[in-house]
Amino acid sequence: MPTLELLLGGTSERDLTRLSEYRAIGGYTAIEKARAMTPDALIVEMSTSNLRGRGGAGFPIGRKASLIDRKSGKPKYLVVNADESEPGAFKDRQVLAQAPHRLVEGCLIAAHAIECKDVFIYIRGEYLTEYEILAAAVEEARTAGLFGDVRVTVHRGAGAYICGEETALLDSLEGRRGQPRPRPPFPPVQGLYAAPTQINNVCTIATLPTIVNMGAAEFAKIGSPSSPGTAIFSISGNVVRPGNYELVLGTPMRELIYDHAGGIADGRELKAVVPGGSSVPALTPGQIDVPLDYDSLAALGTFFGAASLIVVDDRCCMVQLALRSTKFYMHESCGKCTPCREGTRWMVQILERIEAGDAELSELDLLDSVGVGILGRSLCALGDFAVYPVHSYLKHWRSEFEAHVHLGRCPFEGGSSIEGIVAPSDLRHDVGVTA
Amino acid sequence: MSFTAEVQKVAKRYPDPRSAILPALRLAQAGHDGWLPREAIEEVAAALELTPAYCFAVASFYDMFHLEPVGRHTVEVCTNLSCALVGAQRVVDAFEQELGLQPGETSADGEITFRLVECLGACGYAPAVAVDHRYRHRVRPEDAAAIVEEIRADA
Amino acid sequence: MNAPETVHVRIDEREAQVAKGTGLVETALSAGIEIPVFCYEPRLGAPIGACRMCLVEVEGMPKLQAACTLTAQDGMVVHTARTSQLAAEGQNSTLEFILVNHPLDCPVCDKGGECPLQDLTFRYGPGNTRMSMEKLTLEKPIPISPAISLDRERCILCYRCTRFSESVSEDGQLVAANRGAMSVITTFEDVPYTGAFTGNVTELCPVGALLPTQYRFEGRPWEITNVPTVCGLCPVGCNVHATVREGKVKRILSRNHPEVDEGWICDKGRFGFTHLRSADRIVDPIMRVHRHGFEPVSWDAALDEAERLLRAAKGRIVTVLSGSETVEQTYALAKLLRTGLDSHAAMLPEEVSNALDAYRLPLSAIGGADVVVVLGDVAIEQSAPVVDLWIKAARRKGAKVLYELNESDVRKAERAVLIWSGPGGRGGATVAAHAERLGVAGAFYVPETPNGRGIADAWAAASDEEAGATDSIGLLIVSGDEAAGNPNVRALAERAEAVIATSMFHGLAVGWADLVLPGTSYLERDGTYVNLEGRLQRLRRTASPPGRDELEWIAALAARFDVELSPSPQAVFAELSERIYGGLSFGEVGERAPLRSYEDAPVHVDVPPLPAPEDMGEGLKLVCYKPLFSGPAVERVAELQFQRPQPEVELSQADAKARNIVTGQTVRVGSNGTSVELRARVSKTLRAGVARVAQEHAGGLLGTVEVSA
Repeated sequence: MPTLELLLGGTSERDLTRLSEYRAIGGYTAIEKARAMTPDALIVEMSTSNLRGRGGAGFPIGRKASLIDRKSGKPKYLVVNADESEPGAFKDRQVLAQAPHRLVEGCLIAAHAIECKDVFIYIRGEYLTEYEILAAAVEEARTAGLFGDVRVTVHRGAGAYICGEETALLDSLEGRRGQPRPRPPFPPVQGLYAAPTQINNVCTIATLPTIVNMGAAEFAKIGSPSSPGTAIFSISGNVVRPGNYELVLGTPMRELIYDHAGGIADGRELKAVVPGGSSVPALTPGQIDVPLDYDSLAALGTFFGAASLIVVDDRCCMVQLALRSTKFYMHESCGKCTPCREGTRWMVQILERIEAGDAELSELDLLDSVGVGILGRSLCALGDFAVYPVHSYLKHWRSEFEAHVHLGRCPFEGGSSIEGIVAPSDLRHDVGVTA
Repeated sequence: MSFTAEVQKVAKRYPDPRSAILPALRLAQAGHDGWLPREAIEEVAAALELTPAYCFAVASFYDMFHLEPVGRHTVEVCTNLSCALVGAQRVVDAFEQELGLQPGETSADGEITFRLVECLGACGYAPAVAVDHRYRHRVRPEDAAAIVEEIRADA
Repeated sequence: MNAPETVHVRIDEREAQVAKGTGLVETALSAGIEIPVFCYEPRLGAPIGACRMCLVEVEGMPKLQAACTLTAQDGMVVHTARTSQLAAEGQNSTLEFILVNHPLDCPVCDKGGECPLQDLTFRYGPGNTRMSMEKLTLEKPIPISPAISLDRERCILCYRCTRFSESVSEDGQLVAANRGAMSVITTFEDVPYTGAFTGNVTELCPVGALLPTQYRFEGRPWEITNVPTVCGLCPVGCNVHATVREGKVKRILSRNHPEVDEGWICDKGRFGFTHLRSADRIVDPIMRVHRHGFEPVSWDAALDEAERLLRAAKGRIVTVLSGSETVEQTYALAKLLRTGLDSHAAMLPEEVSNALDAYRLPLSAIGGADVVVVLGDVAIEQSAPVVDLWIKAARRKGAKVLYELNESDVRKAERAVLIWSGPGGRGGATVAAHAERLGVAGAFYVPETPNGRGIADAWAAASDEEAGATDSIGLLIVSGDEAAGNPNVRALAERAEAVIATSMFHGLAVGWADLVLPGTSYLERDGTYVNLEGRLQRLRRTASPPGRDELEWIAALAARFDVELSPSPQAVFAELSERIYGGLSFGEVGERAPLRSYEDAPVHVDVPPLPAPEDMGEGLKLVCYKPLFSGPAVERVAELQFQRPQPEVELSQADAKARNIVTGQTVRVGSNGTSVELRARVSKTLRAGVARVAQEHAGGLLGTVEVSA
């Protein structure tokens, strides 16, 4: 089980939240190297590394940076997406809490590449402790004179999953309701305050110091050629040792689940793996011999996503899982576009009927078809995120859905591991709120 | 420093002062017992030269702003997938019992609000509970009593 | 400027050629293809792609695209629902989703029959619903103001109304609250949606969610007629439709004239029409029968009395005009009095000047300007509200809007416009002189009355005789409610031997005029008005007046004095048009009137310099203005009472600072020993040295005032 720690390296031995400790392991030397390079050369280096975005979409960072119109008269902005909110994901949180300077140094490198003077780190509001650590690190680095003429502002969100979507994040950062924007225009052309903007995930940016230090060509050799480098994999649910594991991309999923995470807890059987955070299609136990990289997971019809695996054992009712998942996306739908706003609520209603044993068989098809109506037609990917898992549960565990219909009740008879789980949306007392 | 001065100082960090609305609402909330009554919204609007309606619209979009009174302390239990899979509902039940409150309710003495929340990003350390916005990891139902006692001790 | 690049787009096997950057919805339309939309409305700014009704397939793009958010690119190949199964399915499911929580209460919905959702569902939607579960139920309808009600169940969250509030009227009061399926449109707390333009959201709403309370259960599309006319309540002359049912006006709608109003109208123009049915409307002539009694009399008796009074005062008749008369009424009255009774003296509603005629541009030129200079001290939103929307539009597009004349900015600009917003300004001559001196192409003057220019021209056209000096007033003719309500006119009446007034409402002239003839509203007249651009526009009779209209009785009286005058506005216009409008026919005025050319405009007019600013000492110059929501019509409309102005004094930032005054504070405003207490409001646009107060709150204040905390 070889591990290579690029993002979390040094965190188990040292307190890397302190500038001196981070410097002791070579911290802030990469920014010096980067600043000795021209922005163009630095962007070439980023492209050569073939580093792909760790936020979910997997877009190569070099390509993103090269799309920034650096010649426009407008300011350029770098925005770090630290609004980690995908159920199952907690990898950014660990970087923020344990290696904040690595992120800050990454910001300075990216800022130099795109000739930006203003960096915003948008951190989810719930990460209060992490915010305090990050803000202190930023202040320490600034006081130490590491910023030059760059300003780094840590901006706290206030509880809205949708703000992890990059254009919604921009609207939120501009002081609006965090709702996605139509694209085009894309952020590199018209982003924050309509100026060219680079947006990247915490882990993506925090990888930059390593790339600059080891050289992009060397970095590109790590792991899978199509997606080099390491990723912090968050694994949770019914495993013996849930947590974060930084692994080279391409590590087999089975190895992560059974070796690193110790296998299925309580001697139960594996039933499903949701591999990229709760928004992606689930895999069956027969599908887990897959390398954890973008392309291999795509080949199975799912996504690398947020590198976050939710492991589900055989005690769980898949209708309940679908219902709980959909309630989340309904709760987080921003309300801007029709299919997501209306469709997620409708899906919840259908799933509630199925779980209660009140549905007819045709409603399984209705559920599927409502999903089809959302898929690819909503303004942003949140609509898709609500549908992907449900469609996959319906596909792989259809008999379980059908059993609810045939029996007129949940076949788990109250014994499902998530039986009775209540979601915040069940209690919103501001339903029909009048201002 | 006055509220307005403080907000305007924060606003200077941004190319457009409107960007300071989340920090401003957070400050206002802190200054009004943890929620945003009408006056709090109006203060934010005045400080940022926005309309109260605009500020209300923004506040109502985000889960961490409260438009109704809340307790001095909050207990927030995550019930999303990873926590649910390892027993979050039993933790919810335990807090219900200990607090004598249903989720969404505030204790009669105004001390404690008990809520359910969506994923806190603590899935690997589930079930997760945030007490006054500080995370408690791997909370077991039997921990609820001690946590409630700890909060009450501070009351 | 280079001609924009033309691009070729293929839509549903048809070729479209449009300028690069044209929206895909418009591009399709140019090829005769409709792409249905709900949220898309180009007048509301950048498209938001929210409703997903306009989904199309674009070759080379993996997913369906919202056509409203795309612009035409050369070589683009687009398939709408007409030719793409995928797009048709997308559109179908969008409609299904929209209808999932939309109540099917069309039979009792005021929007029924003129509802885009109903129409598009009929054309594109599924025949039945697969939604068998509980729909979202919400409290309804909620009055978001006395004039507008909101049905949140019907709302499809297209965000047209909130975008209007944010980026057209810029009032920021109507917003979306909450998130997801719980999103609702709302104002702040219990604050009603207040402002000059709120009613526009009822027309923008593509469903029956936002409706005018005045129209609730008042009409069905098959029972109504929409009569095209123009609004007569301010000098803009917005183009409107009056919805008429059984001879009664039920509603006023905008009627987009892209050069004048872009389809926005103010709430006074929209909701003010119910003054027609005011309980105190005068329907019969009212005559002083004995020394102190007033009684309704027959028209015959009234005209006999009018004839008697006119004969008795021949040569000594003075006429006071309100500014709301039509060109035709004015001409007819002038012809009767000037050619038949040798009485040339008139108090015109305001000073006019033809100096501005060389700088005439459509109001839309303000929206396209790069520098807009607003001179004068009356807030344009109060006097000519739609002009303010054009100024805001210019600012949003990046124009500099100045409230003091910065000559270097104006000279550097490519498309500067100057606007004089009163008071004073010599009928536009002052601003014309600035335009001439600075080489500016467009200048506007905001008059005080809706048809001041038309009235002045029509009065002048009736005769070439000059008014001689009269030492006594044999008969004072007071035309219209504004004149009747003017204290100066009342003072003049004290000196007159007799008074004839026309008035719509009791309480204005009844009691002091010897004869009061029922007046009519602009909605009851056929004729023309000249707006502040100098645009001649057509009024149409949308409802019958309760009695004879002005033209009718003027013509009847004229016959008694052997003055040839037709009661038909068309004939009167034909006669006066020969004299002042180059023989233009009534029909040619047009439903969307063009800005006529002012080829005979003077090239240069000598404008006497404005008097040097008086030394105010410590004081501020008091500017009293007529608020938008004031006047005889507004006072009689229940739904507009909440919009009446607050007792306020507006101060410039500098003056407020110097006096330690902040917005919201109660201050004392005094002059010459009298004073009033008003709430202070600090204005960003008011110049220093001025204190602005609505006429109705100015008490006895005059001239220079002291303002103190």
